[in-house]
Amino acid sequence: MTWFSKSTTTFGFLLLAHACYSAYEHSALQSHRAASLSSLSATTQQAAASSSLPLDISLETIVATIIITLGLVLNTQKLRPIQWRVWAGHIERAGEEGARNSSGEVDKDYVGNPFKLLESRPGFVDIRKQRKEFAEWVKQQ
Amino acid sequence: MPTEREFQVAPIVPESVMHNTKVLSNLQSLTASIFGVAAGILGLESYSGFLFYFIFTVLTTILFYTFRVAPTSLKSGLGPLDTSRYFRTQYEFWAGGVMGGMAGYILTWTLFYGLVRA
Repeated sequence: MTWFSKSTTTFGFLLLAHACYSAYEHSALQSHRAASLSSLSATTQQAAASSSLPLDISLETIVATIIITLGLVLNTQKLRPIQWRVWAGHIERAGEEGARNSSGEVDKDYVGNPFKLLESRPGFVDIRKQRKEFAEWVKQQ
Repeated sequence: MPTEREFQVAPIVPESVMHNTKVLSNLQSLTASIFGVAAGILGLESYSGFLFYFIFTVLTTILFYTFRVAPTSLKSGLGPLDTSRYFRTQYEFWAGGVMGGMAGYILTWTLFYGLVRA
């Protein structure tokens, strides 16, 4: 999925750059023509010439914007459920696999099971037995 | 608006709320500057420029809903256009990013308007 969103975004940026250059060339040409026309005759033909963009450049700009938006939306990270019962069930079922992003790495701000501390607790230690064992070991030395 | 009692019954995860809000606002500010480039190329002025921004922001939010929220939200039994699985309020999702991206939009809008019509 990641290659699809990235190539979509790249294609959109190419289209947008092309539209931008075309619009720049168009406005440069229009101002040049207006200047040469006004030097030839004193008629006011240059009005509204540079303000209107050709239809194909406008369409290309809008299509490029929509394509870039689509690519960026597809490139976003997965959302996480905000309700505790939904999110806890998601963690239990999916674990770290559920938090992987599109490039296969675990997200940096992934917390995981917040009750891990309570779930894995060491058992009680028989401290008297350990003390006796230690005393015997010291005697043997 | 949920009451305190409802928050006690069905608690929410602050980390997930922050994550979701961050994802959405990152997308909004990034796309807003792209829309500014497009508006500058098209040479929009005054009200039509702001109209362009609002239309495309709404389009972004709808796309985001379609691709990121809807697949799992509809599967879990929520109705269409209901974002309560991932966002606390509907307002936060549908209108939260409109003002956030405005500054970036105007920045690139004016920049590209000036670049193209030099």
